[in-house]
Amino acid sequence: MRDCRNAESFYLYLEGELGPAERHGLEAHLEACPACREALAERRLLHEAFISLPPFEVPPDFALSVMDRIPEAADGKAGWFAPLASGLAALVVGLMGFYILTGESLSDVLVAVSRSFSSGFGRLLPLFAKLLKIGALLLDVASGFVTMLGKGLAIFLSSLGPDGIGLILGLGLLLSLLLFLGAKRLLSLGEKT
Amino acid sequence: MGKPSGAKPSRPGPVLIPEGELSSMSEDSTLVARALKGDRKAFEMIVRKYEQPLTNYLGRMTGEREAALDFTQEVFIKVYCSLGSYRPAYKFSTWLFKIASNHLIDHWRKKKLPTLSLDQPVDEDERSLTPQVPDPGPSVARKFELAEIRQKIERALESIPEAFRELFVLRHVNEFSYEEIADIKSLPVGTVKNRVFQAKEMLRRRMEGS
Repeated sequence: MRDCRNAESFYLYLEGELGPAERHGLEAHLEACPACREALAERRLLHEAFISLPPFEVPPDFALSVMDRIPEAADGKAGWFAPLASGLAALVVGLMGFYILTGESLSDVLVAVSRSFSSGFGRLLPLFAKLLKIGALLLDVASGFVTMLGKGLAIFLSSLGPDGIGLILGLGLLLSLLLFLGAKRLLSLGEKT
Repeated sequence: MGKPSGAKPSRPGPVLIPEGELSSMSEDSTLVARALKGDRKAFEMIVRKYEQPLTNYLGRMTGEREAALDFTQEVFIKVYCSLGSYRPAYKFSTWLFKIASNHLIDHWRKKKLPTLSLDQPVDEDERSLTPQVPDPGPSVARKFELAEIRQKIERALESIPEAFRELFVLRHVNEFSYEEIADIKSLPVGTVKNRVFQAKEMLRRRMEGS
């Protein structure tokens, strides 16, 4: 005798999710059990309501409003050509404007532009040199710190003995595994179908 | 999405017959590939195809149409920005709804909404809601009865825990198969089946009490 209180099988039966044997078993039981027939009739009505809930209304221009908010940068069409073309166009417009406003010839404008560039570059050169020097100093300090850290770690490990090293390696592995699983869960956007 | 038996073919959304499922998958993959190459029209086609099922899902989860439309927009933008990580071997609708589900979870976490335990036992009370259902045919009276039950379901849905509501919505509103829901939520199929069942029984009991 099957369990009369097993309502889950009623829903699975209505959804066509029961295997042939289970389905036949349930149908045979229903013939002999008025209480289950009544319970199934109730679930059938509910099931019909479940699968026919009305949709939410979506405005006709919804897709267009989504497309308006889609970032252009991800388009991928422009590539390097658009910035280069707009840069050149800006340069040409600037030169033409200079020529129209000052009456200087284009060659004069080019000479003036190249002079201003070279003088500006000359002024910036010492600044670049100083920045490079600061960068080298920072690198020196960082390498000293790393060496010190390595030495400290070596002293610490030698004081632990093989058991301690094993324990630390185990903890490190466990932590890496947890980080890996967490990152995988965070990034897992495509699941197999 | 697989179409379970008993589901009405006229319902909106990407309801696909099994034979067409593969072609729809390849159609989605083609649209994604075109969108990745910068074809905005292709992504617009994806939006048009999935705007209704996604809004239905998010609407039933939030309970508000406006909020659902905002969420749907945000999900599509997220999807567009993540298109590069989509693998054509996987079903696009499953991937899309996984992003939508994660988006909802993030929203609830930020709002710190109270959630009930998934281990909450389902009452054993199996009293009948409508004991007399003499005629299962599509009579006018039955249609009215169904309409009334649907209204009650809408109200009761808002009162059941999100984790149960979500699985119910994915199954009966979006018509995903249990296996697809298991993929979307990274849960075993048996757990999904059991929680959908629990959700339905919770709804039944809440409707009895209303």
